Amino acid sequence: MTILEDPATGARADEAGGRRRVIGTSQLRKEDDRLLRGDGRFTDDVEPARVLYMAVARCPYPHARITHVDASAAAALAGVEHVLTPADVRRDTEPLTVLRPVPGAPKLPYYALAQDVATHEGQPVVSVVASSRHVAEDALELLDIAYEPLPHVVDVLSALEPDAPVLHPSVLDSNLLAANSDGSGDPEARFAEADVVVEGRFRINRVTALPMETRGVVAQWRPGARELTVHCSSQVPHLIRKQLAETLRLDESEIRAVASDVGGGFGQKLGVFPEDVLACLHAIALRRPVKWAEDRAEHFRGSTHARESVHDYRIAADSTGRILAMTNVYATDIGGWNSPFGSAQLSSVVFNGPYKVDDGYTERRVTLTNKTPVGAYRGYGQPEVNFAYERLMDQLARRLDLDPVELRARNMVTPQDMPWKNPTGAVYDSGDYERCLRMAADAVDWAGHRARGRTPRPDGRLVGIGFASFVERTGYASARFLARRGSVFGAHESVTLRSNRSGGIDAYTGVSTMGQSSETAFAQVVADVFGTDYEAVRVHAGDTATSPLNTGAFASRTMIAAGGALRAAAEQLAAKTRRIAAWQLDVAADDVEIAGSVARVRADPARAVPLATVYATAITGQGLPPEEEPGLEATAHFEPSDAAYSFGTAAAQVAVDPQTGEFEIERFVMVHDGGTVVNPTIVEGQVRGGLAQGFGAALSEELRYDADTGQLVNGSMVDYFVPTAADLPQVELLHTEVPSPVTPFGVRGVGEVGTIPPGAAVANAVCDALADHGVELTALPITPEAIWSALAGRPAAREPELTPTPADLPDGGVEY
Amino acid sequence: MTSAMRSAEAPAEVLVETTTTVNGREVRASVPARLHVADFLRQHLGLTGTHVGCEQGACGMCTVIVDGEAVKSCLMLACQLDGRSVRTVEDLAEGDELHGLQQAFKEEHALQCGFCSPGFLMTATALAHQGCRPGREEIREEIAGVLCRCTGYDNVVTAIERWFAEHPQGAAPDPHPAVTDPTATQG
Repeated sequence: MTILEDPATGARADEAGGRRRVIGTSQLRKEDDRLLRGDGRFTDDVEPARVLYMAVARCPYPHARITHVDASAAAALAGVEHVLTPADVRRDTEPLTVLRPVPGAPKLPYYALAQDVATHEGQPVVSVVASSRHVAEDALELLDIAYEPLPHVVDVLSALEPDAPVLHPSVLDSNLLAANSDGSGDPEARFAEADVVVEGRFRINRVTALPMETRGVVAQWRPGARELTVHCSSQVPHLIRKQLAETLRLDESEIRAVASDVGGGFGQKLGVFPEDVLACLHAIALRRPVKWAEDRAEHFRGSTHARESVHDYRIAADSTGRILAMTNVYATDIGGWNSPFGSAQLSSVVFNGPYKVDDGYTERRVTLTNKTPVGAYRGYGQPEVNFAYERLMDQLARRLDLDPVELRARNMVTPQDMPWKNPTGAVYDSGDYERCLRMAADAVDWAGHRARGRTPRPDGRLVGIGFASFVERTGYASARFLARRGSVFGAHESVTLRSNRSGGIDAYTGVSTMGQSSETAFAQVVADVFGTDYEAVRVHAGDTATSPLNTGAFASRTMIAAGGALRAAAEQLAAKTRRIAAWQLDVAADDVEIAGSVARVRADPARAVPLATVYATAITGQGLPPEEEPGLEATAHFEPSDAAYSFGTAAAQVAVDPQTGEFEIERFVMVHDGGTVVNPTIVEGQVRGGLAQGFGAALSEELRYDADTGQLVNGSMVDYFVPTAADLPQVELLHTEVPSPVTPFGVRGVGEVGTIPPGAAVANAVCDALADHGVELTALPITPEAIWSALAGRPAAREPELTPTPADLPDGGVEY
Repeated sequence: MTSAMRSAEAPAEVLVETTTTVNGREVRASVPARLHVADFLRQHLGLTGTHVGCEQGACGMCTVIVDGEAVKSCLMLACQLDGRSVRTVEDLAEGDELHGLQQAFKEEHALQCGFCSPGFLMTATALAHQGCRPGREEIREEIAGVLCRCTGYDNVVTAIERWFAEHPQGAAPDPHPAVTDPTATQG
């Protein structure tokens, strides 16, 4: 097992005869020049001739029957070209489809415009297309829509009560969309024999990904060619194409989806949203291009939210702190409808985190509420459970008077254990979890802190240090695994490489560019495997018309899945290039190597032929070796055998004022292992960026709904506090580098890891500082007010019990 | 102008004759009274490097320089540009050469999705126009009006800090200064 303390400076072995490896180096990004010059092409930048603009009327109530729609006055306004009502959409489309259904859940009928009943504030009801967005919005004012407000429920536990209003009574007789459970061993027996049990209810706040670019769509229809071109801000253009075909009753061959530059996705831009369908319907009806750029008020109500859930966690241990069993029964809020990626499934899959648990059990209860639908968001269930199990680990340490670092170390899965299967069947591939924990403890001088005790500083503040150890599931396994869960996408990535007569290689991928630097990393892999210059590789991303059918950019999977496809395609292309060059150099193919811009004789590098010449030979077919086919192009597909687990430990040091609850994060150390690093600068950027979102969700972000009115009360950038440059603590990053045995090159995903530990690390630090006050935080976000309330001993409001136990499972156990 | 064609379809639109300088070139336009500067730049002039993120002046994506000062262009009406000079991100690079600040962003990995970058670039450029020499903590405060969801800001601060350090002469004057006294158009 290779461990590099600092991969950024770790020199790469030179494996290719004098040639420096490209993988592992901090190449400057391919994406940057156009973005820095204002020459990116985000969806709203696409402005076809004669384009029209769409605006959408939305339900202002959390739950309402639509009793009357009259759009005649709006349609008559000068400049208005077209109006769609719920009846039009019902006639011309199928309901929107779900890409990742909740196992065991029935289909919920959901059209692009609300039919009869709207189940959340902001659900589209009528759409209008006009000569400008201004005029389209003027027309919305002229719509005559009558609503009959219905009883609503916004609290996730209240929604499960027997007297709660039911959102989808034609399909379900309660708001429980489905319950899924999984586990192994006999946790109840272990709880009965345990020396100590710690348990708690942990509330996770509703947040939103809030990419700086909102969603958007530009639809163009050529009726003669039967060609619908859809520019959209999406992480998954090939899945957009599939979903639009299903909903619009078109063939996939009639649709081209393009996502060129995407201004942040973070899981939110997965799959088709109602407005995508509406813009297409208008464009088809009008035979003119139609654009919709989501405004931020729409974004807060119409784009998916995330995370909200209530977890009842238990840990049983013996007197030495060895974990005997762990369980989590939780209600997760899916909002008013099952969005394309629905509720996060990884809260169950990695509910035990980095700890060795043989007897464990998890049950999720996916719950409908009258709020904006919940979708995927960076972390996908893992920050939620990390907060809960890591808070409980500290409580367990306090109960047993053990050092929380030693308690963690004692229970972590060890390198010798792996591969190790957790209670839900997830196979942890490799890694040295304890090493990261020890590095974090050393970095924050945990020993010194323990020795100093809890003496207040002269200003009265108390200092605390908290840890959060984690695993992150990155990528996912085979199509077989997905099929068992009803997911309608694949586990593979595909890529096409094509040489050109200028001596370069064009790479075509359906992975859109959204900040994850895939154009750069893909070019590095191709250059490295093929042997040519990084500068000679150009990546063309996100266009279904040019790229092979793929899956898309999510689940920290792109490098894992695409890495294998890139390697295979580059090897194929290189083999043919060497054969042709060998013919031209009059040597055997095995004697030829590719180096930079030439193919040359390995033993006599002066004998070389320019790659541009080799490529031109293949492209024209003139001068090829006998029996060699013309053309120089390779398409490859790769499906990973299993997920890879990133891992690490974060440590926070805080100073808390025990009078007011105000606190400051003085240090934050992140020790992380992302396996083999393709580009150290990019990996560090991903980790830091993820941490920033993690701090936002941990400290300041929360979408709040008023229980009486069902309204989102802080749905604007002015009222919803994402961190600014002046808000974030300094982050000290440390890496280890344990290659994963289950992925190409040994990479692990790095896209989401930063979102996981901030909440738990900061909460544990605050509770460490206030241990003498008996403060145990159980909810996010962590605010001075929440700490002050905990200090003042104010009891939490009485809540309904999350009653079911393993004994009365509704589904008998749906495997993850 | 395209605005004239659009207005023909919506006769209720009130149009305002506006003369402004954009990236050093005079622009005469008949603009809808309710059109904000960001939409004017994007839809009427094709300068799509200026992005729109919230239309509330909170996110800073649309930051441009008006008469030397950083302005959130979603909060200013296009007709208010009359007699003023605007500078956008398209004006920074010369030919195929990135501007020094842009190069610093590239080398410090100060962008990921890049949607916010024009906002940071124009905010920092305005500071330079004003002769500021901000330190690291000042930079954090000064750019807090532009949000970024990708980077965590550290590399943005580093890139701006580095650019100021590499230009010890301080002020980088606005190549397209105010065409008239800005106070004269406010009455």
